[in-house]
This record gives sequence, C-alpha cells and structure tokens, in this order.
Amino acid sequence: MTTTEGFKRHGNHSYIVQFASSEKEVLLNLCEQIIELLAERVDHGHEDPLAAMVGITSHDSPPEDEVLHRLLPNAYADQVDASEFRRYTESTLRAKKQAHAIAMRIHLKSSDDGIVDLDHDSANAWLGAINDIRLALGVRLKVENNSNEHLELLSPDDPLRGVYAVYTWMGWLQETLLSALIDDVDEDEESQLGNS
Amino acid sequence: MVKIADKVEEEIRAIFSGDTPWVTIVWDDPVNLQTYVVYVFMELFGYSKARATELMLQVHNDGKAIVSTGSREEMEHDVARLHEYGLWATLQRGDQL
Repeated sequence: MTTTEGFKRHGNHSYIVQFASSEKEVLLNLCEQIIELLAERVDHGHEDPLAAMVGITSHDSPPEDEVLHRLLPNAYADQVDASEFRRYTESTLRAKKQAHAIAMRIHLKSSDDGIVDLDHDSANAWLGAINDIRLALGVRLKVENNSNEHLELLSPDDPLRGVYAVYTWMGWLQETLLSALIDDVDEDEESQLGNS
Repeated sequence: MVKIADKVEEEIRAIFSGDTPWVTIVWDDPVNLQTYVVYVFMELFGYSKARATELMLQVHNDGKAIVSTGSREEMEHDVARLHEYGLWATLQRGDQL
C-alpha cells in the first residue's frame, strides 16, 4: 500500500485520510505511549478519594519528567500561585489530553482499510493529540527554535534519526489537517461577510 | 502631587472592585507549528485569521504575546484551554507586566 497523502477536505466540515497499515501502527503506538505517560502521573492509591472525585489532586509541583512537564506546564510564573492552580486543575488537563489521544486511537482501531473520516470536533481532538506527540518527541530530541543541525546531521545508525523522521512526519500530517480545517474557516468567514 | 494621589486612589479602587485586568500570555515554543498556533487562536478565541496570524507572529518574533484580557477567573479558563491544546501559556496581573 502506498504511503498516505495526508488529510483532504471531504465536503463541508469533514476531513478524510487514508493510512498505510505501517503508518497506522506507528500512530497507534504513539497514541498509546502518550496515554500511558499521562497515566503514570496519577498517584497510585495515595489520593484522597473525596478530593479525587472533585478533581483535586495531591500534585502541587510540576512533573520532574521533562516531557510531562511540557505537557502539564505551570500556569503562573509565581510558584505559590502555580502550585495552587495545579492542585485544582491538573487532573482535568490530564484527562482532556488523554481523551484526545484515546479518540485518535479509537478512530484508528475501528478503521479496517486505514481510512479515517473526521468531523470538526474529532479533527480538533486529533490536532491536540498529534501536537502532544510532537511536544513529547520534540523535548526528547531537544528541538530548538533556530538551529536543528544536531538533528539534520544524525548518523544513519543513530536511533534518534528515526525518531526525528517520525517527528517531522507528524508535523507534516498535522499541517495537512490544519490546511483542510482553515480552508473551511475561510469559506465560513467569506460567507458571513457576504451575508452581512 | 495631586496627580499621584489620584493615581493611587484609582489603583486602590481597582483593587477593591476587582477591576484589575489580568492577561493571558502565550510564549514562543520551538515545536508548535505556526499554522497550528494560528488555528488554536481562531478556534479558542474566535479571532479572525488575520488577528490570529498577527498574534502568532508577535509570539514568534517577540517571544510572547498577550492573547486575552479579563478577570483572573476568565484568564485561568483561557490558560487551561491553551494548555489542553499544548500551547505554552501563563496568566498574570495586567499591571505587573
């Protein structure tokens, strides 16, 4: 099977893509890793069940793991405010990020022929999940703003070379979905202007 | 003198009335694609493509941009939504910029 051509617009607010089975496997694997990584952050039996019910966690300091820290960043520069905010909101943020990755996983799992057809909301879930995967890979690859020469010049036997290839491919895939979505928004804006 | 006193009075009134505006700041990030940042601004804040692009470029060129202004609660809500979509955002009092 040939490799995917990325997302295409398919009628209004519908976005379609076909993955080769190898691509589908890579994406499923990445989704599962994000889901697991976020699950690691949950305390193992140390939570106050009542507090957990209303979304309060015992986490008031940022994750030590660099990737988790990037996925669950501080909301305030001030440490006291940041801790307080984290205690009340981090579990919700984790759940939302997991929900994005789980949605992506279900779409992939339930597709026999590698074709995935997304509506606007599920496209947003995919964008969020793809972005979390890119953030995770980007932290591990030490991606920087200006120069990524250290990644361009990796030797063929360096395992990070493969990781970098996946990272750039995920960026390309996200870009194809974005351009399909933004085409729709453009048309909506134009039709609104036309109506006014 | 009078002018300073007026300003102090104004500030005190703002503090007690809870009117001090807070701001949401998005910081530059080497991973997030420019198109993605534009799309998230459009989707979360309902900004036009032109406005969202302007803010994205400000983040990219200046390292940060104020993307929304309002009460502390509103800004906490905005930051939480930006974090959900992987943008690097913080909130702070608007008078402490």
